[in-house]
Amino acid sequence: MARLLRDVAGLPPEVEDVFEEFRTCELSTLARDGTPITWPTLPFWYSDEKRFTITTSIGLAQKALNVRRDPRVSLLFSNPTASGLENPPAVMVQGDAEAPDQIETSVAGFEEELRKVYPRQPASRLYGNDPLTRHFMDWYFMRLMIHVTPRRILWWPGADFWREPFELRMDHVA
Amino acid sequence: MWPEITTHLYEFESAVLSGLDEDGYPFSVRCRPYPDASGAEVLRVWLPPGTLIRPGPASLLCHTHDENLWNLKGFLVRGVLFLDFGEWSFEPVRFVPGLGMGGLPGMIRFFVRSRRNARRYLEKRGLARPRIPWDEINAAKKEAFAPSVRNRLEGNG
Repeated sequence: MARLLRDVAGLPPEVEDVFEEFRTCELSTLARDGTPITWPTLPFWYSDEKRFTITTSIGLAQKALNVRRDPRVSLLFSNPTASGLENPPAVMVQGDAEAPDQIETSVAGFEEELRKVYPRQPASRLYGNDPLTRHFMDWYFMRLMIHVTPRRILWWPGADFWREPFELRMDHVA
Repeated sequence: MWPEITTHLYEFESAVLSGLDEDGYPFSVRCRPYPDASGAEVLRVWLPPGTLIRPGPASLLCHTHDENLWNLKGFLVRGVLFLDFGEWSFEPVRFVPGLGMGGLPGMIRFFVRSRRNARRYLEKRGLARPRIPWDEINAAKKEAFAPSVRNRLEGNG
């Protein structure tokens, strides 16, 4: 059961705050046998386009391979660690994803996202700083993109999953 | 598998349970699974009445990170979610250790496996190993840590 919101002007600010400030979300894709498999991931929310992008290495490509076979995914925002938000809702996005079979190594065009990620994860700057990590971790910098278009969003105020969630169908967003 | 699950489960405050909804989309909630009191190798989970999750294939993810998005740790359990006399249970099928599990040997296995996966991904597509533009990446890092950028992101000007 969920309280369905219709014809709203946009996402509630507390939900957008979660998209912007949570460090991770739990991405679920469907394995070949239909089992939903969940990974912690770093999402990027593009408010104007109303979509998410998640990147993954070709060394950890299973989530992208799953999406190419079945585009149905969900993103759960339920770990507020380091977000700085007071009592945020838990938010789940269900949507359809695409994962082009194109390997990205250049960061051109992705600078704004890196300005967010590196300060949030300062230790990651060590990757690729020396010949050893460049040799053994080059695979980490061979990236695949996963783009998620939300179809419905549910959120639980106070992250209380025992409360009836609010629901927003994206085709109802003005 | 069962001893691994019960040992590590208690290292996490809660778990993410993912099943399917009636449209076949993944549906995830936070919960606190606990071993069945009877000794059966299943986990009991409390889900609210009217939950949109359906019995069937499911997984449990436990993961944590610190304030600096570091000290990542987690594992996944694949299994089946079912209703047993009106109560939800999760029957584990496979334990999948994630980052931060198994100490240094686990970490080495993770990197070796990921590197091998990458090589196979490229081989399968007949692609040469791409060159990584390290100068470009390091310039982006330097810029990300510049004081002016930090101030803007932190709302200080």
